[in-house]
Formats: sequence, C-alpha cells, structure tokens
Amino acid sequence: MATSRNGHLLRLPFYLLSLTMIAPFYWMVISVLKPYSELTRQPPSFIPDTPSLTNFYDPAWTPDQVNPGHQQGLFQRYQVDFGFWRFMLNSVFITTTITVGSLLIASLAAYVLTKHRIRGRRVLFLMIIASMMVPWQTTLVPNYVIMRNLDWLDTYQGYIIPALAKAFVLFFLVQFLHSIPDELIQAARVDGAGEWRIWWQIVLPLLRPALAAMSIFIVLWEWNNFLWPLIIVQSDEMANVPVALARLNSYFSGAQHQGAIMAGGLLASIPTIVFFLIFQRYFTRGIVLSGVKG
Amino acid sequence: MRDRLRRNLTSYVMLVPFLGLFLGFLVWPLANSLYLSFTDFNGVNVPEFTGLQNFRRLLFEDDRFRHALMNTFVYVIAAVGLGTLFSLALALAFSGSSWPHRIMRTIFFLPSVTSSIALMLLWKWIFNPGDFGLANTVIGRLGLDTVEWLANPSLTIPILVLMSVWGGMGYGMILYVAGLNSIPHEYYEAARIDGATTWNQFRYITLPMLRPVTTYVVVTGLITAFQVFEAVYIVFRGTNNIGGVLDSGLMIVPYLYDQGFTHFKLGYASAVAWVLFLIIFVLSLVNLRLGRAVKEL
Repeated sequence: MATSRNGHLLRLPFYLLSLTMIAPFYWMVISVLKPYSELTRQPPSFIPDTPSLTNFYDPAWTPDQVNPGHQQGLFQRYQVDFGFWRFMLNSVFITTTITVGSLLIASLAAYVLTKHRIRGRRVLFLMIIASMMVPWQTTLVPNYVIMRNLDWLDTYQGYIIPALAKAFVLFFLVQFLHSIPDELIQAARVDGAGEWRIWWQIVLPLLRPALAAMSIFIVLWEWNNFLWPLIIVQSDEMANVPVALARLNSYFSGAQHQGAIMAGGLLASIPTIVFFLIFQRYFTRGIVLSGVKG
Repeated sequence: MRDRLRRNLTSYVMLVPFLGLFLGFLVWPLANSLYLSFTDFNGVNVPEFTGLQNFRRLLFEDDRFRHALMNTFVYVIAAVGLGTLFSLALALAFSGSSWPHRIMRTIFFLPSVTSSIALMLLWKWIFNPGDFGLANTVIGRLGLDTVEWLANPSLTIPILVLMSVWGGMGYGMILYVAGLNSIPHEYYEAARIDGATTWNQFRYITLPMLRPVTTYVVVTGLITAFQVFEAVYIVFRGTNNIGGVLDSGLMIVPYLYDQGFTHFKLGYASAVAWVLFLIIFVLSLVNLRLGRAVKEL
C-alpha cells in the first residue's frame, strides 16, 4: 500500500487546488449573508457576525429617506412587478420553451433524414454539418435587423423563435437514430401506423437518452444566454436573469451594492446547480457522448 | 404509388419546422451578413456597396482591431494551454470511482454549471480595489500592499486567463477521465512486466492513447476562447469603453458588439464577424478531421 500513500501525497496539491475552487463560492455566500455595514469592514470577516437576509430585502430602507447603514435589497432594486422573480420567470419560460421546442423539431427532422428516402437529404445534412462550424455571432447583425423588421425586439418570440433550429442537436440525434434498426419502423408501418404516430410513439421514446443529453446542453446554454438578449431586450420587464444582473452591475458599482448583486448571482446559480446535482450522471455521460460523436 | 406520394409529402411537412427556421435565422442571415460586410450599413440608411473598404480598414488601418486581435490571440493561447494542462492533471489525479475522487470531480465541475454572469460578478467583487476584496485580503495576509487589480492594464489578460482556467478545467477533466478509463489495463500490466517506469508508462501509453481527447479538448477550447465576451463585458468594461483600461481587455467579440451595437456601424461589425468566422471555420475543419479519431474512443 506504499504506492497508495505515495498517490495521496502526489494528489495533495490538487486537494489544495480544490480549496481555490470552493473559496469564491464561499465568498459569494457569505457576502450575501453580510449586512451592508459588515460587507465593507476591513479586514473582512470570514464568518458573518450578524447573518441576515437584508441583501434580498431590507425593510429599514425607504426610497424617500436616507437611512445610513442600509441599502436596497435585491428585490427593491427593480421597478417591475415581482422584482427579481420576474426575470427568473422569464428565464424559466424561455429556457423550457426553447428546450422542448428545439428537441421536438430536431427529432422530427432527424427522423425524416435517417428513415425516409427523400430527395436531397444528403445535401441537407451536409449543409447542417457545415453550419456547425459557423460562430453564431456572425449572424448577430442580420438577425438583429430581422427582429427589428418583424417588430420582435423586446418580445418572447424574439428570444425563442431564432433559437429553435439547433444544428448540433439535429446532428447528434441523426447519429443516434442511425444506430436504431429500420426494421422497428418498418414493422410499425406494416401495422398501419402513420408517420406522425411512429415519430411520437416509437422514435421519441427510443431517442430518450439522446434527448436527455441534449436537453442538458440546451438548458445550460439558454439559462446563461447573454449576448443575444443584451441586444434585443429594451424594457425592464423583458430581461432574462443574465441581462438583469448585468444591468445591476452597470447601475450600481460601489462596494456597498455588492451584497445585493451577489444575492442575485446566487439566485441565478441555484437552479442550474440543483439541476446538475440531481442529474449528475447524465451530465457527465452527455458531455462524453457529445464529445465522442461531435 | 399514391401511398408513397403521401408519405413523401408527410416527410417534407415534418422537415419544414426545422428547415424553415434553419434557413430563416441561420442560412439567410449568414448570407446577409456577408453582403453587409461589403457595405456602409448603419442600421438606418439603405446599405451602399463599398467593396473591400471595411476589410481594408479593419486589417490595415484600425489600430483598435489589431489590438483586439493581439489580445485575443494572447488570451486564447494562454487560457487554452493552461486549461488543457490543468484538465489533464486533474483527470490523472481524480479518475477513480471512490467517493473522494467523485467529490473532487464534482467540485471542479461546479463552475461549469453555475450562472456565468454570476461568476463574472463574483470575480469583479473578489478583485475589488478596497482592502475588503478577497484578493486584496489574501495578499494582505502575505504582507503585500493592496493592488488595483482591474485598473492595471498589465493584469487584465492574466486575470481573464485565470477566470477562464478556473471555470473551464473541470469540463476538460471530465473528458480526460472518460479517455483515461477507456485505456485497457492490460497495456499497463504488460509494460510493468517489461519493467517500464511510471513515467515511461505515462509517456508511452497514457499520452498517446489520450491524443484524440487532447485534440478535442484543445480545439473546442480554442473555439470557445476566441468567442470570449462576457468576462470582458462584465468585469472590465468602463463607462465609455468596452475594452477596459487602455483597451487592455479588448477582444474580437466585444469589439464586434462595440462597433455594431454601441456605434451602430453594422456593416463594419459584419466585417469583424467574418474575420471571426474565418478563424473559427479553420479551427472547426481541423476539429472535424481529427474528431473522427475521437469516435474510436
């Protein structure tokens, strides 16, 4: 067992490195729990003396009267109904719609491209593969102009519709469907099932592992999507969580505001971290699978 | 025959949602972007064809763009090089299935599933110039003076690299772990019987067997790094200047955003986009050719 002890010794720097991974997260959490007066203390405390949730909402703060020692909590900083929850709801709605929608339309197309003999499917598939090499920022300017012409700036459809056709999802599903024998689908056809029914009752269930892997990528991507929303969102209400946080960062830059900003960051991070902890196995498998196939 | 025809019609109907959106929001905008890059479009005027003028200005006259390109290349090389090394080292250290290894992998992977804007705001707060910022507290304990981290141009790219490596090494680690666990044990046993040292086993078995994974990690890392935007926008952007102090953090995509959506030089921004396109396209071609090797993993 000498080698094992040796191994632990060799790993020591990496165990120490893991502390540098945890420290920023810890700093974030204690910054949220420190009231304003404690946040800017020098040197800073590493365990909050008087933990409180005033960074979310401080009842002692009033807009018309300066109350020293108090700052607006996160939920007092946005002039929209439901405060920060509004942006969380926007993000949840946009993320779910895009995830479900893009998986549905990509699975339909993947089914046709692999199991139907139609003219031009090779050309189509090549085009889709080629499009995966395009940095999406190249389409930023024209898509902005399209949104403006359709009057879709600052709308949910502006978020959702341009994001639905995802080439990498189609590519991944096509690869996956190739490994499913045609006989299964032929048999259903002989039994008189229509194409839509075959897609819904046979293809989709067979695709489940692939859909699960892809949904993880789509959810993470859309939840964090920033540059596109930054360009199309104009009003306060239509921001998603990243844009709302970035606005907080632009409007309030002093140290006294960092508690509320960190509170927003924490709320923005919790859903995806919980999602990850629940589906951890699928995450790693999905990453490896897409790496292998992509 | 009629049945066949109906099925064909259904096939096309099933293709339409994806294909329509794909053509409408990807293929057409791409063509349009190429066209706009040869015009003086500013968002309001009727675009007038100006030939290669945008590209000539971009490549030969625009000092800011040259600066952005230089910054991006330095950042990309450092971030991807260090990131890959750390990913490999972490995978070698924690590839087992015991619980300490699994916990370590979870910890290192955590930034990959945390809101990226939240992380950038966190870094900005950590590098606060006051004595109460975490970075200044730590170096204060070491007996050093406080530093104006984000206002010092020579620290900008090192900080961007640090944030990228810290946030990305867990992702590469997961890929390397999968690669390591797919190497047959027999290879090592045979090598040990022949008296190979641990170093030689690593050098002549592990590294060559991991080559496809390394290629994948490096190329996807390069593509992501070239598109860096949020870190610059959130952490370094000044009131009037997206690139931070003296443009020390100006990169390609932030410059595209600046030209297109702050100054509304949409034609010029499209030309910037096409330079990015060319860089990424070449990298992706390399990826596609070498990606085939990863499939055998």
